Formats: sequence, C-alpha cells, structure tokens
Amino acid sequence: MPIIDVHAHWGPWPFHMDVGSTRLNLELMDRYGIDLQIVSAAEAVTYDAVGGNAALREVLGAEPRLRGYAVVNPNRVEDSAADLRRCMDTGRFVGAKIHTTYPGRSIGSPQMRETFAMLDEAGVPLLLHTWGPDVALLPGLLAGLPRLRVIVGHAGGDAWQEAAHAAASCDRLYLEHCRTVADAGRIPYARQAGVPVERLLFGTDSTLVDPCVALGVIRDAAFTPDELERVLWRNATELFALPSPT
Amino acid sequence: MSRYAWLEPSPLERVGWDVDVLYGPWPSRHADVGLAAVRERLHGSPVQRGLALSSRGALFDAAAGNAQTVEDLAGCPELLPVGTVDLRDALAAEPQLDALTAAGVRFLRLFTVEQGAEPGFPGYRHVVDLALARGLVLLHDGDVRRFGPALAGRGAQVVFLDLHAYFLADFLLLARAEPGFRATTRMLSAPDSVERVVESVGARHLVFGSRTPFMDISPQTLRLRYARISAQDRAAVAGGNVEELVR
Repeated sequence: MPIIDVHAHWGPWPFHMDVGSTRLNLELMDRYGIDLQIVSAAEAVTYDAVGGNAALREVLGAEPRLRGYAVVNPNRVEDSAADLRRCMDTGRFVGAKIHTTYPGRSIGSPQMRETFAMLDEAGVPLLLHTWGPDVALLPGLLAGLPRLRVIVGHAGGDAWQEAAHAAASCDRLYLEHCRTVADAGRIPYARQAGVPVERLLFGTDSTLVDPCVALGVIRDAAFTPDELERVLWRNATELFALPSPT
Repeated sequence: MSRYAWLEPSPLERVGWDVDVLYGPWPSRHADVGLAAVRERLHGSPVQRGLALSSRGALFDAAAGNAQTVEDLAGCPELLPVGTVDLRDALAAEPQLDALTAAGVRFLRLFTVEQGAEPGFPGYRHVVDLALARGLVLLHDGDVRRFGPALAGRGAQVVFLDLHAYFLADFLLLARAEPGFRATTRMLSAPDSVERVVESVGARHLVFGSRTPFMDISPQTLRLRYARISAQDRAAVAGGNVEELVR
C-alpha cells in the first residue's frame, strides 16, 4: 500500500540539525515506505519565498518522487501570484504553501484575506500552517471563496480541538496532523467532531521532523485498513489530481 | 501481515522505564484519564515500567497529591511513585520533601509551567536547594535554556522533560559539563536529534519520557526504534539509564 506525504520540506533549517539534502528526503521516504512527497523549500518558508521556490524548481526537475508547493508570502501578494504561476507552469508543483509565523501574518489579517482570494482565483490547493485558535476563522474566510481548498497544516497545532470543529463545519478544509508534540487523541477527537475520513491527510514535516513521528500518530489512531488507505494516499490523489501510485 | 513495517510494534520499541507518566484530572485537557486507564494504556504499549504521579500534587495540593501517589502506586508494581512540591508555596516544601524521602521516593517532579516559576524566583531556588541536599533526582519541565544554567555546577541529577529539537544545541552545551543532565527523547523529533546527543555527549544523557496519557506513545517508541544508534545505546535510553537512578 502506498503513502503520499502532503506536508514535507526540502532544504536546511536554522536549527542544530543536518537535514538539508534531497538525499535525506529520499532516504527517509525509503525507510518508511513513502512513495511521493510534496515539499516546500525551507528557504522559501523562513526567508525568501521567490528565491526558495526557484531553488526548489531545480530540485524537482531532477527528482520524480517529489512534488512542490510554491510558498506564497502574504506580504507580497502580487509577486507571489506571479511566482506561483511560474512554479505551476513547470508541471512539478501541485499547490501553494503559506506559513503564518515567518511572514508574521495571522489567518484573520487583511493580507491573508487578499492572498486567499488570489489563491481562489488560481484554483490550487493551499497548505496553510495553522497554530492557534485563529484556525477557527477559516470556515468564515472560505465562505466567499468557492474554489479554495485548504489543508489545515498541523491541524491547528495546540488549537487542535478548534481545528477539528472548523473542519467539521466546512467541507473544503482538510486536516493534517503532523507535529512534534503529539497530543493524544487528536484524530479520534476530529472524527467524533464530524470530520469525515475523506478529509484527513497524511503529512510528516520531514525533513524537519522524522516521518516516524507522524506515522506513530497514524498507528495510535487505529484506522481500519480501508480508512488507512484513504488517509495515507487516496485522499491526496483526489485532492491534488495525482495519478494513483498503486 | 501489514505491508507497513512501522504499523506493527517491534522489540526495538521496548521501553524499560518511562519517566513521564501522570494520572488524574487535568482541567485544560479535553478529558481526564485516571490511574486505571493510564495503566491500561501503558499495558497496551511497549512501555514496561514508569515513574508516575497524581495530578493533584501538580495542580492543587502537593502534600495530599504525594500521599495519594504513594498510596495509589503501592498496588501497581510497574509504577514507581514520583513526588512534587508546589513552587508557589516553597515554605511548605521542607516537611513535604522529608515525608517523600521517608517514604523512599527518589524522584521529585517540578511543574514550573503550571505554577509560573522562573529560575530566579526565591521559591524555586529554595526548593532546588532542599531537593539537591536530599539527593533527589529532579524531573524538570520547562525550557532547558532558562533552567539549565540555574542548575549547572551543583552536581545535580536532572531529567529535562521538555527539551525540543530546536533547542538541542543549548542542551548539548550544558551536558558537556554536566554528567547528571539528561533529557527525554519526546520532542527530539528531527531525523538526527537523538543521534546527535549520542554522538556528541553520549547515550547516558537521554531517557524515555512519553507524557502519558497526554501524548501518543507510538511516535516516541518509533523514534527510538528507528534511531541510528547502537543496540547498547538504545538499551540505555530505553531504560538502562533510569535503572541506574532507581537503584
């Protein structure tokens, strides 16, 4: 059974770790049986979106098991819109990624609203870093943006209960639970809140985080085999219109 | 058999001692987990034994919580009692620590986050002085970058329960000069975090602490299983290092 990792990274991070090589992406994928990984460039997330996306374009051209997110900086919407088109035109990128911490913009900020509208028009899935109770704003923000589908990255972080209820109330929100701090019971809570298994996705935060952390969360969620198939790859193929890896 | 090797527990995930186990009400959590449920959760995991305490001592009444922990765990052979004192009432700590040592308790857990203590607070410093004078092993929450320097140079035996991979360099700088400083692997989540500790200061500085019942256990046992360290080092992290402290 294949695995698609919808939340991963490529490149080095400014911490005491050596995780920047494409070789490590692939080594970890092989270790855990991950077939396909959708990555954003760490440089684009933390420092320079356009520069980091350009570096990632080079990497993706040479590595068939990786796909890309173009990082969008909500403080530079016009530049990011043009860069998103450049990335999507390569055929190797499948969506956009927004971090909230590094650009210093919360989900409810005017800049984020403008960026969401741009992405709605572009019609690409968005992986959004979510961390905190403002994740609850997403259903309202998406109400006037009928094409935008959002992966709730980290499932709200410490606001995972708020994220679960947000996703339960909006069928264009998908939960993805990767996080170093693996609070117990997040997935059962989300399902009990009304999030269907069709809107749960598997992500790892690799290579910043070892994929076994997210795999452990999946193991402790005790999915049935059919549910596991949905979460580990089938939902991702449908969201991103990817070919089945089977 | 599943095609996913990670889906099935392996003997490489076996944990001899888990230093971070709690039970009882915790109002900011979505559900309370009592002792029976915690024991059941551990029983269904690769964890064999744990150091545990009632949440009563952490959040409400240290003396009563300690008494409850000792009484409750007397009937739980797989769990060893951990004591605590309230850092907001450090003047009450001395008799409580004496009671704990008289009961044979070797581990003292500090809740600086819940109790709002800083490294420079007089109450915190008083409790640490008393605990170290009695030879207690500290199970210490909070940021190692702030509390580590306050504990350095004193021969302290400390297990830091909240070390995050992002702050690993600070811990390693401390551990170079502090043989008694250890950290749990719980948040050492980068692909090379555990390996860096083992390679730079040695496996003796790591132990397993799951924070059951608040955290999933499998992410942590899988990290241990797949760590690129020797079998001897894995055994030390999984229990051998704590075994030395328990004796």
